[in-house]
Amino acid sequence: MISLLSTIDVAFKALAPQRADWASILPEICVAGLALFCLIQAMVLPKSLRWLIPSTARTGIVLVLVMCLVSGTAWNPHEGALTNFAGLLQISDVTVGFRITFLLCAFLTSLLATPFLQERKATITDYHHVLLVITAAFMLLAQSNHFVTLFVSLETAAVGLYILVGYLRLSGASLEAGVKYLVAGGLSSAFLLMGMVLVYGSLGAPGVDSLNFDQVASAIHAGKTTALTMTGIALILGGIAFKLGSFPFHAWIPDVYQGAPTPTTALLATASKAAGAFTLFLLVTGPFQPLDFRIAPLLAGAAVITLLVGNLGALASTDIKRTLALSGVSHAGFILAAMAAILVSGQNGDYDRHLLSIYLIAYTVGTYLVAQVLVFLPSTEDHRRPLPSLKGLLRRSPILTSALGFGISSLAGVPPSIGFFAKLLILILLAQVKLWWVFGVALLSVSISIHYYFAILREAVIRPSQEAQEVQPISVPLSAQFIIGALIVVTLLGGLLFG
Amino acid sequence: METFSQFNPTLLLVAIFTPLIVGLILLAGKTLPRSFSSGFAFLGFALPAAIAVWLFLPSSEAFGSPLKLRFTGPWGFSFGLNGISLPLFAMTAVVGLAAGIKALIQEVENRNAYLGLVLFMLGGTLGVFATDNIIGFYFFHEFALVPTFILTLYWGGEGRRSAAMQMAIYLTVGAMLSLAGILIAMSAAGLSLMDATFEQLFLGLHNPQVSLPTATAAITLFGFGTLASLFPFHSWAAPGYSAAPTPVSMIHAGALKKFGLYGIIIIAAASMNIGHGTVGKWFLICAVANVVIAGLICLAQRDLKQLISWSSVAHMGPIFLGIWVCTSRGVAAGLDAALFLMVAHGLSCAALFLLANAVRTRTGTYRFDELGGLAKHTPILAACFVAATMASVGLPGFGNFWGEIGVFLSLKGESLWLQALVASTVVISAVYSLRAVANVFFGPPSKEITERFSFAPFKDLSGAERLATFILLGASLAIGFAPHLITRHTNEDAQGLAKLSKLTQANSPHSTPSAR
Repeated sequence: MISLLSTIDVAFKALAPQRADWASILPEICVAGLALFCLIQAMVLPKSLRWLIPSTARTGIVLVLVMCLVSGTAWNPHEGALTNFAGLLQISDVTVGFRITFLLCAFLTSLLATPFLQERKATITDYHHVLLVITAAFMLLAQSNHFVTLFVSLETAAVGLYILVGYLRLSGASLEAGVKYLVAGGLSSAFLLMGMVLVYGSLGAPGVDSLNFDQVASAIHAGKTTALTMTGIALILGGIAFKLGSFPFHAWIPDVYQGAPTPTTALLATASKAAGAFTLFLLVTGPFQPLDFRIAPLLAGAAVITLLVGNLGALASTDIKRTLALSGVSHAGFILAAMAAILVSGQNGDYDRHLLSIYLIAYTVGTYLVAQVLVFLPSTEDHRRPLPSLKGLLRRSPILTSALGFGISSLAGVPPSIGFFAKLLILILLAQVKLWWVFGVALLSVSISIHYYFAILREAVIRPSQEAQEVQPISVPLSAQFIIGALIVVTLLGGLLFG
Repeated sequence: METFSQFNPTLLLVAIFTPLIVGLILLAGKTLPRSFSSGFAFLGFALPAAIAVWLFLPSSEAFGSPLKLRFTGPWGFSFGLNGISLPLFAMTAVVGLAAGIKALIQEVENRNAYLGLVLFMLGGTLGVFATDNIIGFYFFHEFALVPTFILTLYWGGEGRRSAAMQMAIYLTVGAMLSLAGILIAMSAAGLSLMDATFEQLFLGLHNPQVSLPTATAAITLFGFGTLASLFPFHSWAAPGYSAAPTPVSMIHAGALKKFGLYGIIIIAAASMNIGHGTVGKWFLICAVANVVIAGLICLAQRDLKQLISWSSVAHMGPIFLGIWVCTSRGVAAGLDAALFLMVAHGLSCAALFLLANAVRTRTGTYRFDELGGLAKHTPILAACFVAATMASVGLPGFGNFWGEIGVFLSLKGESLWLQALVASTVVISAVYSLRAVANVFFGPPSKEITERFSFAPFKDLSGAERLATFILLGASLAIGFAPHLITRHTNEDAQGLAKLSKLTQANSPHSTPSAR
């Protein structure tokens, strides 16, 4: 495979004068290949062997994950960041962390989707194909160094997500969520594109690739910014804020998260939010870095409002999925607060750069633990998950209760979970850079969040007062039990390791 | 004795981690045979108590007083005991043993999980007092609270639904506020945040170049105050203790709650100047309100467990006053007495919860109007309850006496109205406690009790219940008759703090006009 790639590499180099290191995006190529392989399997395999498809997809993801982990920064032999494909991509040690996050999300989503779709008699192959395409797109997105790569990979992922949100064709809620997401996503793409055009137009000069991040940065640094540029930057940030789900572009989140099939909700909440966060991070520390004195207050302000809006909204919700959706908004607020603090601190700390990854991994693990519960909890309609449906969960399934307990604790930031340390690190950073008002609101929102998180947990744990009720145990397959156990170990050990 | 000082750190770790490991095994082993899990759990309860008492008693005098151990444990948390935390650590372990005995004799659903969670709670509480790492201190507290909620929700009694939610919100807000205060202080002192110790924070904040944002002291004080049920943030406590299963109430009200007080002393009082200025004034007002208002609420209670829960809130008042008088006026005796009372209250309040539940298991009720004349049927229970009540009221001979009398004596320089107000609470406390004893144990037997007794005669205190009660009351008597057991550890720190407070006052006379 490598030799084949190096042949292509040589051929490409002969054609293009710029350096193009194909081997550096081998993980992305493999994931995209895996997506195609899923379709091929569906054509070739007899019906009785179709169950192999999700397994091969997961095995493939694990292999790519191992590839990323083992090689680490081997794709990046030089010190610092490596620019590739004529400046379209940039690979650094941070992007390796991003890749791993996305691969983990894909793996866990596949695990959720398989039993979920089987129960609802929906096709599994297509779901995995789209999931893998989205993953490859997200992995490329995290390395983009050029507005064209950024937009193309973001759109590829977005189109895939439109499909996955409306995947349950027989469910009105799923289709409604799909349409809502399509409209909101289309609007955000329009924002993003308009912003890029404005930035390109106002900063452009003959002979300069004004969509390249480095060129944009140096142009801004040279003081070429006009009102048009600022408008463009604001539009771009707004477009990304849609993906992240931050105020004032969070309105689509509750409906879409609630209506989407639960595995897709988990994917939206984690991979898509992470993609938004990473992209925002790339932009504010990359091309827009010279403007950080303006962007940092903007992010801090957005963080404060997002935290409050998300938490207060979740407080009023009585549906589990909706509560988690709105709490996801407040997590976006935490991410924004972290980014504001990183910008103010000038990225001097040791862990600042990895702070986002740690927070997102904590959030991802917590979300998937809760999603496991939702997938296995019997329900007539996926989009209707009232709190009382959790009643007596501790008796019906201790393993699901512990999944819920650890997941919720990690999301709420209860020690010793990884979520606590992630929040603590952000709070410490906020204190260090003396952003006291953000610090205060962050603390306040953690306190508010206890109410709705604890309400979910209370419903599951509390001993039902009517003893007469017949208890129906929920059976959880061994593989899911294993994954729940593994995620709980990550929740605990991750917390202790960072501690 | 050289060998001991090398042996000791391991002992400390064993004391914290035995309950945690045993608890983990019991949680995982749902089907472990009953006899094995009982014995195993007892080991988890008894070993820390043995170690703590051994560390506490004069035999370990060789380390000097106050005892200071310090070493870095797993994950960078450092563990150590100082003069203030050692008595609290020992008290926690003793209360934990009594609570463990109570938990072992209870008949509950999913017994192994129940025992495991109680052990977790105990391990976390021991960790709170055994670490001198600030984040570790906070970490262990939350670690102990999580099982508290689960135990209350699943095994709790009436009103657990709302009580657990109220407790969760209050305790999280309190913990968040105190964490905010700590983080602000640590970053002001320029400490490495993850592994800073109390001592480093103390030294850092007493650097004259370091200035703290003015609100820090208030945030920290009231954050920790919420956790220790300081008025007006006390309303979670009584419903929370009442709804929890008895061993949980014992550990929570007796030991875990002292986290807040310990935090106030070792962080807020030691280096944040909480006795002076506006903060000091409000601290005094809230502490007095704690004594008076919670006392009055106790008078209105008609339910034994509610009464004990509220009296445990009321008894925090003198402790707050003792801390206040030390930080504000530089009276070392105030802090000494407050620390004494913290230990003694932990023992007496746990004993009361234990015995109240013994009443409940026999009569099926906590309500005063359904109880009465119980002494006839259960004389030993009655005698123990009277003794525990006497301890709680502060009769000489029990540890509480030294604490309460010490706090009152340390207030002798204060205005007359303050002294009168505080003294009146002794009367109130005697009134509600003795009335409870009279209602439950004396007078003509109530109709309900007579019926119940003739229907299914109940026995007096069982051997295990007696053992648990004797452990608690015995410990209280021991420190009551030999107060130096506590003061030899606490004196030096209390005097240091008082001296410091006087110094602060002398250095900045302009900062204290309102408290005068």
